[in-house]
Amino acid sequence: MSLLELKNISKIYGELKALDNVSIHVDKGEWVAIMGPSGSGKSTMMNIIGCMDKPSSGEVLLDGVDISKESSKALTDIRRDKIGLVFQQFHMVNYLTAVENVMVSQYYHSMPDEEEALEALGRVGLRERARHLPSQLSGGEQQRVCVARALINHPELILADEPTGNLDEANENIVLDLFRQLHDEGTTLIVVTHDPEVAEAAQRTIVLEHGRVAREIINENFGK
Amino acid sequence: MTKRKMFLRMITASLLRRRSRMLIALLSIAIGATILSGLVTIYYDVPRQMGAQFRSYGANMILLAKEGQTLTVDTMQKALDVFPEEQLVGATPYRYVRLDMTSRQQSFTTAGTDFDEVQKTSPYFSVEGEYPREDKEILVGKEIADTIGAKAGSYIQLTWRPSVTVNENASDDWIGGAKLSGSAEGFNAGIVVVEAELDDEGRIARLTIDASSQTPEIGGQVGTDKNFQSRFIGKKLPVTLGEDVDAVSGATISSQAVVDALNNAHSITKGTAAAERSGYFSVTGILVTGGEEESYIYMKLRDLEDLTQDKNLDVAELSISANAEQLEKYVSEIDKADTGVMARLVKRVTRSETAVLGKLQALVFLVTVVVLLLTTICVSTTMMAVVSERRREIGLRKALGAPDSSIRAEFLGEGMFLGGLGGVLGALLGFVFAQVVSVNVFGSSITFQPLLLPVTLLMSMLIAAVSCLLPIKRAVAIDPALVLKGE
Repeated sequence: MSLLELKNISKIYGELKALDNVSIHVDKGEWVAIMGPSGSGKSTMMNIIGCMDKPSSGEVLLDGVDISKESSKALTDIRRDKIGLVFQQFHMVNYLTAVENVMVSQYYHSMPDEEEALEALGRVGLRERARHLPSQLSGGEQQRVCVARALINHPELILADEPTGNLDEANENIVLDLFRQLHDEGTTLIVVTHDPEVAEAAQRTIVLEHGRVAREIINENFGK
Repeated sequence: MTKRKMFLRMITASLLRRRSRMLIALLSIAIGATILSGLVTIYYDVPRQMGAQFRSYGANMILLAKEGQTLTVDTMQKALDVFPEEQLVGATPYRYVRLDMTSRQQSFTTAGTDFDEVQKTSPYFSVEGEYPREDKEILVGKEIADTIGAKAGSYIQLTWRPSVTVNENASDDWIGGAKLSGSAEGFNAGIVVVEAELDDEGRIARLTIDASSQTPEIGGQVGTDKNFQSRFIGKKLPVTLGEDVDAVSGATISSQAVVDALNNAHSITKGTAAAERSGYFSVTGILVTGGEEESYIYMKLRDLEDLTQDKNLDVAELSISANAEQLEKYVSEIDKADTGVMARLVKRVTRSETAVLGKLQALVFLVTVVVLLLTTICVSTTMMAVVSERRREIGLRKALGAPDSSIRAEFLGEGMFLGGLGGVLGALLGFVFAQVVSVNVFGSSITFQPLLLPVTLLMSMLIAAVSCLLPIKRAVAIDPALVLKGE
């Protein structure tokens, strides 16, 4: 059963077709990578999936509901309730501690719960660093905090934008291991990347070129 | 943890962990609040401060006898009961009589008064020498002192004679067309001069009155009020005030002087002058004021009473530390009370006081408004910088699902928190500021107004909130997608 379905979506900026009649679907519990060179429409697609932009035409079905015509306020609600975001630049509130950063996500979603936030940090192996400010954490640690923040509200979809783009190999592996765990627990993952190694960790890779789906690759080795 | 706790935790963390920027905003609010509360304190304290200052320019109220009544030290004291002790700066009784200076065949207006009170109601009096302390000591106005060559330590013999001025031209047989002239002492020992012409039956046919020595607008009316003069026409002499003719309202003494002058002229042959009395007085000082006081001699009221055997006062000058509205209230209270005394404001003084106060308060108000505007601009600029500095964070919050209302609440929360903190600081510093200004400019300290604390607090928070409006609008407009672009 598909969690996300893009039907014939296009996004046009003036003369430029950032996305040109693209259709994809992502099943519940699936781990999909989206690859493509710069200018292929990756970011535009990411914005649309992340409920931060609307397509010029076409339908976006999330959990069977068309959200392509929703107001930006409604999209904010949907993003908050269904999607966990992980960014390339980590993006932490720099004056809040690790645990407080996780709690910010809870705060907008429902109720801040420090215990639960600490548990989530425990999952990414940072319970000991919970009281540190972002400036006192390494890049890998910051990204792990962001993963903890993304999963704290049990989203149906985790959307990661170049999650390992700023990490060294060791930290990249830690983050990918976390994704594997989340996948094993049934979380749907969409990872936008241009790193083939990261893409290979997913079940399926969708390759975008010039605003169109160029090809889809099923990872035969997945889970082996 | 509740949402509210998290909210407070976030905004306090933002303020505490991002100190430098917030300190600037806090500082501008605190300075604005300081000036605001300081100026408001001064605004409300200025009338009191300036009131005390103005009191050094002399009396702002006088007491007079009501029509047909007398003003004495006793009735004056009774009338003073309406004033709270702290507002009554001074009350000086005055009795003016012309005394002859025996050695020079000259007469001078002499005021009987209370020198302790004179120094309170006329602080601008400058005495070369000393104020009299003992009986039989006098102050001599500079003009007289120059004329007679008196100085501190001189002795002067002064003589009191009855105030009737004899008409040497008068005769016993009043015939038609007879002219007579006479004079009598009126208010403040001023001489009122009359000239009358009688008809064949001995009735007054024509009358001119020179009352230029009397207070213009009050006693002076007897000389200018044609209606008053016409009351005498057709009357036979002697006339009695209140029976044959009515006094000019509010000018009983001057009116009586006109009647006395006429009767003096008429009864000249039967004139029985009271026995004269005289005494030696020691000059303790020369009075320099630059005004008409320099042509008077001042002695103790008791000494003058000994000479005249008369306890009546002409006027009492009061110096009251109160605003125009309060003064009006006291006047009507005194006028209503059954003491035989009425009060009049010295309009010239109270009016200029009110005008100066009004201008001063308008100025303070204007400065306050300008300061508030500047503070708002300063805080707004700082908050604007804060918003652009935190674009990424705001985008992140929105990406995490923060609705616009939360973004608004967080920035407003930070702003109000700063406003509150700045307000408390400002209220306290403002008091110090006002105190310094007050001590340096007015030379007196002020009392802390407890109400000023919440008022300043509210104003600061309001300013902070207003300052945040534009920055918040910017913050809300930030696109959450900016966090995805990997910039």
